[in-house]
Amino acid sequence: MSIIDLAQDMLLAAIPAVGFGMLFNVPPQVLVYCAIGGALGHGSRFALVQALGMPLEWATLLAAGLVSFVGIYAAQRLRAHPKVFTVASMIPMVPGIAAYTTVLAIVQMNQRGFSDELLKTAVQSGLRTFFVVGALAVGLAAPGLLFYRRRPIV
Amino acid sequence: MRSEAPRLREINRLCLQAGLQLMQHGAESALVESVARRVGLALGATRIDVAIMANALTVSASSVDDTITRVGRNEDQGINMHILIETQRVMLDLEAGTLNLESAFARLNAIVPFRYPRWMVVVAIGLSCASFARLTHADWTGCALTFVASALAMALRQVLGRLHFSPLVNFFVSAFVATSIAAQGLIYHWGETPKVAMAASCLLLVPGVPLINSVSDMVKGYINTGISRGTLAALLALSTCGGIVLAMTVWKVWAWI
Repeated sequence: MSIIDLAQDMLLAAIPAVGFGMLFNVPPQVLVYCAIGGALGHGSRFALVQALGMPLEWATLLAAGLVSFVGIYAAQRLRAHPKVFTVASMIPMVPGIAAYTTVLAIVQMNQRGFSDELLKTAVQSGLRTFFVVGALAVGLAAPGLLFYRRRPIV
Repeated sequence: MRSEAPRLREINRLCLQAGLQLMQHGAESALVESVARRVGLALGATRIDVAIMANALTVSASSVDDTITRVGRNEDQGINMHILIETQRVMLDLEAGTLNLESAFARLNAIVPFRYPRWMVVVAIGLSCASFARLTHADWTGCALTFVASALAMALRQVLGRLHFSPLVNFFVSAFVATSIAAQGLIYHWGETPKVAMAASCLLLVPGVPLINSVSDMVKGYINTGISRGTLAALLALSTCGGIVLAMTVWKVWAWI
């Protein structure tokens, strides 16, 4: 992994974070936080997986937690809940292809008949989707679970 | 104490309106409950109880000697973070004491949902899916194909949404169109990575927000709303896959498994 790979990864993640932020009607002055969060989250996950060889799910959990903690500072300055921009920042890390592969494999089992290969694909991508989405949501909730237990963030 | 009742009723109505506004525009349950409660407590209610269901919100406001309960129907209006921000700022101003009951109603009713121009969202989503393709190591031809397929699918999704089609129908048709366009790359051998383009062009239909909200709700103890959000996300993914399978059957290409 080189610095250029990392920079390219962060830039490529910032684009969908902004794009989906626009789809979710995030106001223009907040979009920059979506971009920073998207780049930071996907970039740190890329670094953890590539440099440390960490499993994807754990790297996702740490990356989402990092974005969420950084998001708190921005949220308190903005006077808005951090989720209004951190959710868009998470979109580049959502395992979309794995989710579709799971459902497609199940549909195929119905069309072509059961096979071990299809079941293996369905279970593997299904588990991947489940754990990565779980890691994203738990990582986002980390500040509330660990520090802001009885008091609101904003 | 008789004079308390109308004010308590209005406080309850404000809590319900603020909570519903959050719920309709894609907030997680913990935020809905905390905003509804803090609005009521800021205005002097002694206690606010909130019950969140998938399709409705119930708020109960109490003063020393009275309780008023009201149910509001929740109709999903699509995700709009601008409304979430504005609603929460009304709550913060109420807590700071710069708004009273009447001006808070006026502020809530005056929120005009901010929307980006449609063409801009279409281009941005096209670029987003092209970036996803690039992240999965597509070549530039594949990225361009993804851009065209997903931008057209996004435009179609907006049109069908405006015509009030069910999101399930909408996602099925949009996935069919996106996959059909991307399938041409596979048929005519454009570039080295047409399969990646085919997968990436449907990523605009991944129900990311319901999925994340589903897990956060369940983690925070709102198992009911978490399950219903998760089920909706699964249905949307299923209907998207229906569109993908139909397109692959029509064009006789098989790129996924």
